[in-house]
Amino acid sequence: MEEKNNEQVVENKPVDTEAPLDKNVRLMSPTQMVVRRFFRSKLSIVGLIMVVGLFIFSFFGPMIYTQWGEIELDESGKTEYAVSTTTYTVNGVEYTIHQTTEKSLKDNFLSAPSKEHILGTDNEGYDVFVRLMYGGRISLTVSFIAVFLITILGVILGGVAGYFGGWIDNLIMRICDVLMCLPGVPILLIISTILDASDIDAKYRIYLLMIYLTFISWTGTARLVRGQILSLREQEYMVAAEAMGYSTARKIFKHLIPNVMPQLIVQMSLSLGSMILYEATLSYLNLGVKAPYAAWGTMINIISTNQDVLQNHWYVWVPAGICIVIAVLGFNFVGDGLRDALDPKARR
Amino acid sequence: MFKYIIKRIAYSILILLGVSLIIYFLIRLMPVDFIQNKINAMNQGGATVSEETVEAMYKMYGLGDNSFMGILGGYFSWLSALARFDLGTSFVYGIPVARVIVEHMGVSFAVALIATIFEFMIAIPLGITAATHQYSLRDYIVTILVMIGISLPSFFFGQMLKDVLALKLGWFPASGLIDATASHTGIALLMDYLRHMFIPILTIVILSIGARMRMTRTNMLEVLGSDYIRTARAKGLKERVVINKHAFRNTLIPLVTSMAGLLPSLFSGAIITEQVFDLPGIGNIALDAMNRGDIPFIMGYNMFLALLSVLGVLLADLMYGIVDPRVKLE
Repeated sequence: MEEKNNEQVVENKPVDTEAPLDKNVRLMSPTQMVVRRFFRSKLSIVGLIMVVGLFIFSFFGPMIYTQWGEIELDESGKTEYAVSTTTYTVNGVEYTIHQTTEKSLKDNFLSAPSKEHILGTDNEGYDVFVRLMYGGRISLTVSFIAVFLITILGVILGGVAGYFGGWIDNLIMRICDVLMCLPGVPILLIISTILDASDIDAKYRIYLLMIYLTFISWTGTARLVRGQILSLREQEYMVAAEAMGYSTARKIFKHLIPNVMPQLIVQMSLSLGSMILYEATLSYLNLGVKAPYAAWGTMINIISTNQDVLQNHWYVWVPAGICIVIAVLGFNFVGDGLRDALDPKARR
Repeated sequence: MFKYIIKRIAYSILILLGVSLIIYFLIRLMPVDFIQNKINAMNQGGATVSEETVEAMYKMYGLGDNSFMGILGGYFSWLSALARFDLGTSFVYGIPVARVIVEHMGVSFAVALIATIFEFMIAIPLGITAATHQYSLRDYIVTILVMIGISLPSFFFGQMLKDVLALKLGWFPASGLIDATASHTGIALLMDYLRHMFIPILTIVILSIGARMRMTRTNMLEVLGSDYIRTARAKGLKERVVINKHAFRNTLIPLVTSMAGLLPSLFSGAIITEQVFDLPGIGNIALDAMNRGDIPFIMGYNMFLALLSVLGVLLADLMYGIVDPRVKLE
């Protein structure tokens, strides 16, 4: 969404009647106009700040804040007191004995936020704040890789289908139809079981899952690209390109794909948000990144089995959830802003 | 029209065949001794998976024969059983998969249906006000709120609602479907169900309002920009009549079409939400079955979901032709 004042492509300066016409107006390229419209919207700026902020936090944070590592236990120890009460009745007189047992534990787990641990420690004794950063690295990296792969696959397959048409188009679109009917999460559960069975390193399984996810998720992008190319193919400039005798690759990648870019960029930024949600859900179900490694979803996983953490130790799981929301919301805001900015019909 | 429907049904069956092929080969990727281990673990855990059940499954899926012909033969024997609506017997429950699905579908359906009704009732008016007051403060606030709704992970938001509304305030039960300590009947039992379903439904509604509201807003904006709305205004109709009678009716086309596409989500169960609130719906059952390696159930459930989404697409297309007379189905 954008501000109320009208778009000004041409800016007026004090008119110098002697100078040639183009000295009095400032011409803007389409890209400049898009950038200007994007930054005029407050929501897209907020979104951009959220996304960039999270990136800095996750990728540069661990370099600056080095007190704790991702899988470094706080072994400073913790003393737990258990109070047990026993009541005896001897000769009609009631005696109550309060017995306190002191138990020394090796790891300082579930400690409240303090100077030592900005957001406390989780149920294992890892520092929550540091794990948020490492978790962000995984979540953001994985989502970017997935969206990147989805876009490449989608552009190539959608482009080929749209440009060549005929049986190739038919084949690719039918594959799309089948993939679109595959249930998402349940199939990921199957794949995860396969990965369980074949002893994949806990660090890499999320990447394998996301690669699978790209294999079923390229359909949306492919349809978008195909639809655009079908309509662009009929335009005069494509006839001109044909008449110039350009190669097929040049026609596709130089003349067609750049015209699909606006929609593609919007689609990419919106699907970044949904990929982060997907990854978080997988990790929450303990299918994605597994402990001891951190991901935002993994950090929330603990509350599905541990009621005590859910009720009494908010600092273990709420921050991770907030990070997910900020990331997804940020990408959605940016995507929306881009959609409005890139729309040539937008009047505002 | 009739010819079109027949053609589409035949085409849907082809899609289902493709889906079944993928699901079958995925299952075949699982090492057989892994499946055996899971069954052993289940037997140690007290459950009794009889030799016969396992034997029948091995035969039905053609497991254990990993030659190309073996895999192919296994696929066809599974497919022919599927054609007779025989999905095999679930290990965990010891009854046919189809019956497990039908028994647990009710809860999921009730939750999804109530949530969908509320979703439409809230999202459509919101979308319309946002569109008629475009770029106003109201539009901004509504848009930002529903965007936050879209961005919330269901497990996080569900757990948060559970923590606050159920565990801290104690207004609603935290999990399950019935109060085990009380034995309600009749109306009281129904109220107990609804009390247990309240937070799950609230979670689903808040998460799904966003998409519907934005869809309504976009459609409404498109309609408001069209010529017949200008005509309606030009002939001096009240703004209320223009919005409610001329504009809103035309935004109904995509809304009704998308309703047909909702079919899968009504029956398939919300895996995450049901897991968070421990509702005995089909999604939760499926998650549990998959963690325990219940192959017949996994395959049956996935085929069931694929069937639902094929039906959803088919219905949406047919509905489009019925609702919008400008669309000719061929």
